[in-house]
This record gives sequence, structure tokens and C-alpha cells, in this order.
Amino acid sequence: MSLPPLRVDYSPIIERPPIKWPNGERVALWISPNVEHYEYMPIQDGPRNPWPRTAYPDVQQYSYRDYGNRVGFWRMLEVLDQHKVRCCVSLNMAVLEHFPEICKAMVDRDWDYMSHGIYNTRYLYDYPEEREREFYQDNINTLKRHTGKQLKGMLGPAISGTDRTPDLMAEAGLIYHTDWMHDDQPVPINVKSGKLISVPYSIELNDSALFRLNYEADYFVDMCKRQFDQLYKEGAESGRVMCIALHPFLIGQPHRIKFLDEILSYIKSFDNVWHTTADEIAEYYIENYYDQAVSHAQQFKA
Amino acid sequence: MPAERRPGTDHEHHEWSPISTRGKLSWPNNARVALCVIVTLEHTEWQPPNDGFNSAASGGVGVRPFPDYPRYSHRDYGHRVGIFRVLDLLERLGIKPTVVMDTQTVQGYPYLVQHCLGRGCEIIGHGESASQMISGDMSLEQETEFIRSAIDVLKKATGSAPKGWFGTDYGESERTPDILAQLGISYVCDWVNDEQPYEMKDGLFALPTMLELDDQFTMSNRRVTIDRYAQMLKDGFDVMYRDGAENGRLLAINIHPWLSGQPFRIGYLEEALGHMMGHDGVWAASGSEIIDWYRSNMPV
Repeated sequence: MSLPPLRVDYSPIIERPPIKWPNGERVALWISPNVEHYEYMPIQDGPRNPWPRTAYPDVQQYSYRDYGNRVGFWRMLEVLDQHKVRCCVSLNMAVLEHFPEICKAMVDRDWDYMSHGIYNTRYLYDYPEEREREFYQDNINTLKRHTGKQLKGMLGPAISGTDRTPDLMAEAGLIYHTDWMHDDQPVPINVKSGKLISVPYSIELNDSALFRLNYEADYFVDMCKRQFDQLYKEGAESGRVMCIALHPFLIGQPHRIKFLDEILSYIKSFDNVWHTTADEIAEYYIENYYDQAVSHAQQFKA
Repeated sequence: MPAERRPGTDHEHHEWSPISTRGKLSWPNNARVALCVIVTLEHTEWQPPNDGFNSAASGGVGVRPFPDYPRYSHRDYGHRVGIFRVLDLLERLGIKPTVVMDTQTVQGYPYLVQHCLGRGCEIIGHGESASQMISGDMSLEQETEFIRSAIDVLKKATGSAPKGWFGTDYGESERTPDILAQLGISYVCDWVNDEQPYEMKDGLFALPTMLELDDQFTMSNRRVTIDRYAQMLKDGFDVMYRDGAENGRLLAINIHPWLSGQPFRIGYLEEALGHMMGHDGVWAASGSEIIDWYRSNMPV
């Protein structure tokens, strides 16, 4: 059966028709650096306080994240370049406007982008419908202007959204939403018009989830290897998706960077991995599996 | 004010500058890494004011109702015991300490002022006490008086005005850098966004510290274990040493004696700092030595 919010039809993974990636790969791997800017003096606009530690500014937390753009991004880039990784960035669009060097580095590498909102200190929670519509047009236009690319997906700003978000994304022409942590494969999201799917992102293989707690990068390496091994095994039957989510201010710290190299070296030692982006996964899935998945899920309705 | 969407950063305190585009910073004797060890001595009040800042960093047991004997005394351990272990270690390794002292430490522990001066430490300003953090809730007058008072107390106790400032719990308002510059401070350690010093405004420079290598942030707030912390220090140094061959790096580490001065922890700190000092091309210097050099040798 489908449970509220009725956005996703229940479909147990063991019953699904197998997914075959373009060249029979077992795992579609995408790397998603969150390239973000947090405001020095944000305005709290809704239920979440961007800097809860103190009255604004919070120079410690602001400059900790700013480190990512000044230093960490560039160190992360060296390792990604060594492994020839073409990323799908989770992008605060204002980065394109504030930091032209970062924009150029990403454009030069022909990376793909999903929206991560405009700033990581501006959340969607309380957006009225019209304002959210304008938000998507702003994202689409800003990305197009600075990178030439058409926006296809979104991880909500700081993973925020509204009840209407999937409908309005689809209405604006977006095809994937990565706020859903519910599966190892893409699945359709029910929307009023158009087609929208979820592409698995990760709130577990995510440096920001780990490194605010007492986990360190050696543990992150172990998690990534084990995640990969398990999905690679299961992917022989039906293709799986694996995402590694990064934040330059965290993974670009000097004491952590070698662990990113270790993760990528390990995965690169395997054949039958589709090194790809969320844009490509979403397009391939919609072209080949979307209709089948929608009809197949009907049998599990209560 | 929320950010305006235009090139550059969203405040006026310093310019946007990605490290990838900068000219080469050369340290004395072509050192690759300038190592600055900051030792923070802040006094935890027996009865903190109601409007104080309740830091999450409270040792192993969290914050208790008044009177919080464990919290008070755990922190006081740093002033009674831990500081000497830390200073002995730094002296053995040839690292000149930069000691951060708040007003209640200066006034309540005059012995420590003289002891640190006698050992050649640089002493810099911090504020009033562990619970009183600068924030945007202060008025301009309150904040100016707060900083001026901390500077004056240090000047009186040490005979010279402090050149550096590292606010309690990295606290600042929007105005703090301007006030620090007006009061004659040459460098501030609150901004953790870089691996090189940089110029702010009106003669003020930033001496960025590595937040993730702050023992209190990592071990007390994040609860990372001491063995892992020591490994982070070594791994971080190794990469900065590598990168420092191309463009000099600053490794500024903030150490709290109540925490790292514990007998079971000090050996790990010795191992990590010893690892760093075992390399050629490491310039161990105090905050003002680093900023003085930087000011005269700024890369183009």
C-alpha cells in the first residue's frame, strides 16, 4: 500500500523487474560535492535558524564553511581530477555569482549540477506557492546563465522543501529530486503533471552527517567500501545506485583528504561500475524504466 | 543584511581570495609550514551570569544546575596542573607558545601571568571569562568597552598591550573586526577560513586557526578520541607540509590545558607535535611573529 504523503507507490525491491545500466554495469556511482555558501548575516525566514549558536553573525561557523570555498574546494579538486571524476554538484546557485573562480573550475570540467537552492541559509519550508515557483525559475535561469546547462534536479536547500515541492519541480521541468533517502534505485514520485523521480543521494555516506559527530575519515572509508561491496554484489542481479556526498569544507581539510583518495582508488579498482551523474541516471531511468515501474507498482496497492 | 548576489563575499571585513589564485607566500628560511600553537587559558566562573554564553564544551558530563562543581573544577584543572604540562612540552620541542588569557584569569591567577611571561610566551586577549562570549546582542558601546577592558587589564598586568585577539568561543558581532582595529589589535584568530594569514582592514590581519584541530571542538564537542585527534594532527600537518612546498601554509592549533593537559592525553599531543617538529622547514613561531613577517612579505 501507499502511505501518506502518497508521493511514492510502495514497491519492494525484491519484486521489481531488474534494472540494467547502459553497459550492464552493476552500480551507477555518482559523486556529489555540496558547493555551498552560507550567509554571514542571514535572515531567519521560517522554522529553522541558520546559526543557532549565537546572535548573528556566527563567525566560527560561517568561516568554517567559507574555508571550503577558499581552500577546501581546491584540495578536493586535485583528488577528483586525479581520479577523473565528473561530479554532479549539489549547488547553491549564488556560488556562481559570488565566486567566479569556482564557477569556472566546474564549467571547465563539464560537471553536472543539481540545485541545492540559492544559499544554504535560505530554506523552502514556509515558501508560498508562487514564491516557490519563482524560486525554480531563478535556479533554472541562474544555472543556464553561468554554466549553459539546463537544470534537471534538486536537493532542496539544506534539504528543505514544502508539501508542494515535487509538483512544482515537475511543473518547472525538473526530472529528479534527491531529498528522498528511501531506496537503492531510482523510483517514480507521483506529481500532478510531468514525470519526476527520486535518485538515491545519501545522508549516510555523507561527510557532513559524520563529521559533526565523533566519526572520522577512516570510518568514512570503511563505510564507503562496505556500501560499495554490498551494492556491487546485489547489482549483478539488478543495477544499483551509490552516491557519495561531500562538502569541501569538511573533506578538503588537510587531515581528511587522503581518505577521499582511498575511497576513490578502491572503487576505481572495479570494472562494471557506471561512473556517472544524477542527471544521466535520471534521464536513463525515465527513458527505460519509468513507465514499467509505475505499472509494476500497481499490484502492491492496498 | 542578507547577502547580495554579486561577485565577492557577503561582508566587508576582507576580500574574497581562493588560495588557488594567490602568489607564493614564503616563510623565513623558506619554511613550508608556520606552526603556531595557541594555548587558551579562560576562567570558568563559579556562578556564570544569566545572560552568559553556555558553551557546549563542558567536559564529559554536560552542564549541571548551580553549583556545578565538576564543570568548574574540571576547567580549573587547566590553570592548576594542565598548563605546566603543556608549556613544558612546548618548551622541549622549541615551540614559542601564544597564550590566550581572559580577564578573570589575569586577575585571579597573577602567578600564571608572570609564569607565562617568564617563559617567553606571547600573551593575547580573549575577553572576560569562559561564559561571556561577544555576540551581536551587544551594543557597540558594550562591545567596545568589553574589548577595551580586556586589553587594558592585560596591558596593566604584562606591561604591554596585546597584539592579538582570540575571542571566547570565537565570538564576534558584525562590528568586532572594526573595534579590534580601532583599539590597536594587529591580528584576530576568530576566522577559521584559511591556511594562510590575510589582511582584513585598518591594519588588522587574520591569523586563521584550524577549527577541526582545536582540541575542545574536536574532543569535547565532537567527542573524537585522543588517539584519533593525534592522528588528525599528524595527517593534517603532512598534507600542509606537502602543499607548503608550493605555497607556504599556516598551521595554527588551539589547545586547552584543562583538556590536552590531562595525563592520559599529553603523550598524544607530544607525539603529534613531535612529529611536526621532526621535519625540516617548519617555522614554530608566535602569532605576532607570524603576522609581522606576513605584513612585510605579503605575496603579490
